[in-house]
Amino acid sequence: MIFSTLEHILTHISFSVVSIVITIHFLNLFLLVDEVVGLYDSSEKGMIVTFFCITGLLVTRWVYSGHFPLSDLYESLIFLSWGFSLIHIISYFKLKIKKRKNNLSAITAPSAIFTQGFATSGLLTKMHQSAILAPALQSQWLMMHVSMMVLGYAALLCGSLLSVALLVITFRKAIKIIGKNNNLLNQSFSFGEIQYMNERSNVLLNTYFLSSKNYYRYQLTQQLDRWSYRIISLGFIFLTIGILSGAVWANEAWGSYWNWDPKETWAFITWTVFAIYLHTRTNKNFEGVNSALVAFMGFLIIWICYFGVNLLGIGLHSYGSFTLTSN
Amino acid sequence: METLLNPSKTPFLLVPKPHFFKPSLLHSSFNPRPHSPFTRRPLSVAITCKLKTSQGRKNDGKKNNNISKKILLSDSAPELSNEQGKAKAEESGGGTWRVIRKLPRKVLSVLSNLPLAIGEMFTIAALMAIGTAIDQGEAPEYYFQKYPEDNPILGFFTWRWILTLGFDHMFSSPIFLGTLILLGTSLMACTYTTQIPLVKVARRWSFLQSADSIRKQEFSDTLPLASVKDLGVILMGAGYEVFLKGPSLYAFKGLAGRFAPIGVHLAMLLIMGGATLSATGSFRGSVTVPQGLNFVMGDVLGPTGFLSTPTDAFNTEVHVNRFYMDYYDSGEVSQFHTDLSLFDMNGKELMRKTLSVNDPLRYGGITIYQTDWSFSALQILKDDEGPFNLAMAPLTVNGDKKLFGTFLPVADTDSPDVKGISMLARDLQSIVLYDKQGKFVGVRRPNSKLPIEIDGTKIVIVDAIGSSGLDLKTDPGVPTVYAGFGALMLTTCISFLSHSQIWALQDGTTVFVGGKTNRAKAEFPDEMNYLLDQVPEIVESPISKQPGSIGG
Repeated sequence: MIFSTLEHILTHISFSVVSIVITIHFLNLFLLVDEVVGLYDSSEKGMIVTFFCITGLLVTRWVYSGHFPLSDLYESLIFLSWGFSLIHIISYFKLKIKKRKNNLSAITAPSAIFTQGFATSGLLTKMHQSAILAPALQSQWLMMHVSMMVLGYAALLCGSLLSVALLVITFRKAIKIIGKNNNLLNQSFSFGEIQYMNERSNVLLNTYFLSSKNYYRYQLTQQLDRWSYRIISLGFIFLTIGILSGAVWANEAWGSYWNWDPKETWAFITWTVFAIYLHTRTNKNFEGVNSALVAFMGFLIIWICYFGVNLLGIGLHSYGSFTLTSN
Repeated sequence: METLLNPSKTPFLLVPKPHFFKPSLLHSSFNPRPHSPFTRRPLSVAITCKLKTSQGRKNDGKKNNNISKKILLSDSAPELSNEQGKAKAEESGGGTWRVIRKLPRKVLSVLSNLPLAIGEMFTIAALMAIGTAIDQGEAPEYYFQKYPEDNPILGFFTWRWILTLGFDHMFSSPIFLGTLILLGTSLMACTYTTQIPLVKVARRWSFLQSADSIRKQEFSDTLPLASVKDLGVILMGAGYEVFLKGPSLYAFKGLAGRFAPIGVHLAMLLIMGGATLSATGSFRGSVTVPQGLNFVMGDVLGPTGFLSTPTDAFNTEVHVNRFYMDYYDSGEVSQFHTDLSLFDMNGKELMRKTLSVNDPLRYGGITIYQTDWSFSALQILKDDEGPFNLAMAPLTVNGDKKLFGTFLPVADTDSPDVKGISMLARDLQSIVLYDKQGKFVGVRRPNSKLPIEIDGTKIVIVDAIGSSGLDLKTDPGVPTVYAGFGALMLTTCISFLSHSQIWALQDGTTVFVGGKTNRAKAEFPDEMNYLLDQVPEIVESPISKQPGSIGG
């Protein structure tokens, strides 16, 4: 009883703290041109509080259920939320040494709150009680496999969201330019050209876009592009380890290291799509918008893999399945 | 070339000892041919690196005599000389010979084409997605019904497509396997034509001799009052390998990050090879054995491919000593256990083990898994007679997966409509009994010895006998696949490292610093600024180093 109360309290604290953090971010965005340092600091502290709250939540569940808290969808969502805040904390401390502002929180904080909000929302009320562990899950591999997968999802979602942000900015820019300069339109305006301009930054920017605003926007897209590549690479490592440890586990529990089970297959599809993303980065022609499009595709595929397969409740990974119909 | 293969000879760490060299050697090593073999290949990065360095070196060679002999040796790139050799062979041979020689290279360059590889990966992803969308391994009738011709999905997709293309067994269909094989050859071609040359280029390190070429780097900065030596020390502290010669400095870090993608590709090939071995050389089989009965492994195992060869262990007989389940307090099953004994042909016990889910039994290359269970029989006493064994039959009511039932006839067994007691069970723990009219009477646990009276018949449930569902397999591909897994994890992690290169040049009291990195482009400027902030400012008169050497 005391555990569930504690869990309840921790959920609420973390949820409300993240909401405050997001509000502060919006304030920073809309109200203040130069962000107030104090506000920024407090939002960072808020994320740290959130991180510890979710950690506490997971530990609580672990203690009273007696197994690693990753046996169903609710727990994995909470863990995903934890993964987002972890990424945030790591990037925060990494950048703090170099005294740079953490731009990632614009992605991580809302992601954390959305996953947590979904997990605690009414859709999944039935699953809040931590259930017993199915025979196939009683293995040390559970910890390795599922934690790696969920961390991988968290990092990949983060990275691909950065790419989506890049896409949004680029598309807006493209529309703007087409609206503004008709003479530019005549010169066969494709995305390849935008990219080309991106690369030949200073010269072209000075000739084509005279305002400094565009230069900042260019810098921002470049930053987004690079960070998204870095975080996706990290997530790809986790995903690889997760899939492979899952394969080793399957060879212990199910009789084969690969069964073409729907969840397995979709994880492999996700892996393939992000492998494509990493390959597009090796070629200058594909960098920027094209690779961002691949990342966006990967973003959708992660959700299919994470939710879609569970929603259907098919295959061997049926532990995490749930139904949205309330009865 | 020699130094390339043996890197220990090349670098000298932070030793500003000038070596002098013979200009003639340098010129001989720079053949004017290097462009042609490279323009043919999709090797943009390699080209730029190579041309830049060779050009720079050439100019330097003419203007100053300040490059060490050792460095020079490393400049004669092995692949260059190979190319030249091949080119000469082509020229000397006849026309047909040239075609034959060119053909594999053409195929290679097509296969190692990046868009093609990306296309292949997309195809595989799409095929897998289709494979999960269409139910696999059903009878043709199922597809006739689900994908009828008069109501095609998306206006064209009917069962004809599925059966012609083999999408009913996607993961063993020729299309899917063919794409995988194509991807495998692309992997090999890419590793051979693109990655390995790239590594050779990356391993060649070079000083930049002009401030302009340093300023052209992705990151560049100018330190007004600084010494390149201090910079070298700081870079070494940050984990860089630093080479210093006269006024110029070259430092790099994370070279392994450049090599690791090759390892990733090789690991993928290893996994593919192991999986092929698994698919062609395995035996599989599953069996449901009631507690107390035997089976011979070889009878259960069936080959999966043409490479499957049985071993002596196939003659082993397996005896199921006991099958039981553990339960949670709530009554749900927590674990299945099967106590197995293995006997050889002479009846000698070889091994005994209780296996459970996640804890298979391994013997002589054969693995036995606990995968399923079933209710075999119910042992009862009827009016203190018996015990009788009643066979339990699996029932499928409302899609219930595990429901077993049996029937005990009472009174007149010869009449056309026999009436009796029905017993149902979901697990081995509790049996639900119904009377002749089908009304619920009670629940009894096996071993409880508590009799129940139904329609005048006294029944005691003595025991519930389960059957263990076992999967057996041999898989010769597992060691290879596991080796591939290990290599893949390791190399993927190493691939995260970014190969950073830094050049610096002392010009009077000013130090020009430039650098680039291949992956961590976002962090690199921060890291560089952080490091450059630590470079101390010199107050005293500067160390001037051969002002003539700074040319071009």
